Amino acid sequence: MLNGKNNKNGWIVSNLFLSYQTLISPLGTTIPEHVAAFKARQTAIAIHPNAGFNQSTLPVAKITAITNNRYDAILKMAIEALKKQTDLATLQSDETLFIVSSTKGNMDAFDTDAFQSTRTILSEELAIAHAPLIISNACISGVLAINTAADYLKTDRFKDVFIIGIDAVSDFVLFGFQSLYALSDGPCKPFDKERTGTSLGEACGIVRLSVEPTKNAVEYLGGTSSNDANHISGPSRTGEGLYRAVNRAIKLSGIQHKDIDFISAHGTGTVFNDEMESIAFGRLEMEQVPVNSMKGYFGHTLGAAGVIETIMTIVSMQENTLFESLGYSEPGTSQAIQLITSTKEAPIHIALKTASGFGGGNAALILKKQL
Amino acid sequence: MRILAHSYIQPNGIWLNQTCVKSTVGEENWLKAIYQNSGVEYPKFYKMDDLSKMSFLSSELLRKFIPAEIDQENELALIFANHSTSQLTDTKFHDSYAVQGNPSPSLFVYTLPNILTGELCIRNKWYGENCFYISEQFDAALFIDQIQFAFNHGNSCCLCGWVEAKTDGSHECFLFLVLLSEEKLDINTLNNLYKTYKNE
Repeated sequence: MLNGKNNKNGWIVSNLFLSYQTLISPLGTTIPEHVAAFKARQTAIAIHPNAGFNQSTLPVAKITAITNNRYDAILKMAIEALKKQTDLATLQSDETLFIVSSTKGNMDAFDTDAFQSTRTILSEELAIAHAPLIISNACISGVLAINTAADYLKTDRFKDVFIIGIDAVSDFVLFGFQSLYALSDGPCKPFDKERTGTSLGEACGIVRLSVEPTKNAVEYLGGTSSNDANHISGPSRTGEGLYRAVNRAIKLSGIQHKDIDFISAHGTGTVFNDEMESIAFGRLEMEQVPVNSMKGYFGHTLGAAGVIETIMTIVSMQENTLFESLGYSEPGTSQAIQLITSTKEAPIHIALKTASGFGGGNAALILKKQL
Repeated sequence: MRILAHSYIQPNGIWLNQTCVKSTVGEENWLKAIYQNSGVEYPKFYKMDDLSKMSFLSSELLRKFIPAEIDQENELALIFANHSTSQLTDTKFHDSYAVQGNPSPSLFVYTLPNILTGELCIRNKWYGENCFYISEQFDAALFIDQIQFAFNHGNSCCLCGWVEAKTDGSHECFLFLVLLSEEKLDINTLNNLYKTYKNE
């Protein structure tokens, strides 16, 4: 049972604990492999001839060992890793819920049912007790999924929620981003003066949010989302939605702006997105807070991004390490912000994770290291 | 939680609180017919995909029921779900590159289901929380959970929707507006409301 107190809505207010479980990307299949890759300034983004429309060459972060049915293959790898690291009794418990965050599901089946394989794999490989809850809300899905997990735990019906963030590279999405001229010719350079677009990637990350402290956990303080109400495929010029989401997340978390030691930004590497984020952080008076984008390591992994970047944020907090914002070298936004230019040690007590995406969505969550 | 109003759209017409507002039986371009009948002037309508068009037309009816004292800008949450995500537009975008040899950016931007909530926010200047869920069928329990969570976060109103635009032509759009109140909304009531429309 939760050791919480009831607020005015009969909602149980209590501490929740977020821990990383597994991370599968072109950089590795374990968390330590990813930490080593980040420290070695390694990127998953490689130049792939013929990856783009009309056999054009594109930088993409692809797991080269997988040659077909990419989404299912990545999901199965992550589930295998999860089973090795967490006891089956917890995974299959009636008090455990699974939430899946994905923008597109399995694109090999887009014209029939893009999410059927997700349900089947979770049922066959894990025999989970409840049907998974699937969130598909563009690039903010991962952060929304973690925030939604907290809502479920506060009902007292569940003790653990496992959040799976996943998307696979597909011609569909690559050609779509190409048609929008949103892809960079080389690996993306978030927030840099020379940035010209994002690079797409694929990954699956799993985190666990629990009512009891778990191994490697940090405290989840709160989170929320806000729509820009401005444009369906471009960010607000004023960062309105991101500004509102972060302000509300701070309020819900019971902290102050000055308490935040590190921001894991969305930072796609497109001219307009990064400019918008810098403006929002400026309006929030967070222009002095160390910030990075992890897209330079992973590429933009869409529905996985919020989850895998939260995993590396937890690592940052535990190792007191600010990871370099890979791809950044010169200021390239009208509002100056504190991009991390080299990986270094620093105490991180409270961290903010943000995401912004198509449809005008913005989401934020706040984590605190237990002392 | 109290349902203030509800609407339903399918190729045969649009209903508000179970009363038919416009029948489109036999109309080939039935979404355009509903739009023209609505008296609403919003040229962006013509650019939207079918998920957004249906949600827009329904929300134009329902927004009139939002009580004046509600802070719509900040305290109105959007909770949407479907089974087929953006399948119809996905198929069209796929054809644009696989068949016509020219990936269409204007189709691609609609290949995410939550674009429809973005459209509603732009139209109404709603800056609140949004989330889009995928479930195998209309799931009243999912909606009731999410409405309760939205109220727990400080929202006072939720616009909820189940919106499908499938490649087999089976379009439907069920929207309902829920106000924060002491009353309970039970799963059966919500399920029955949806089923009543389905059988029309």
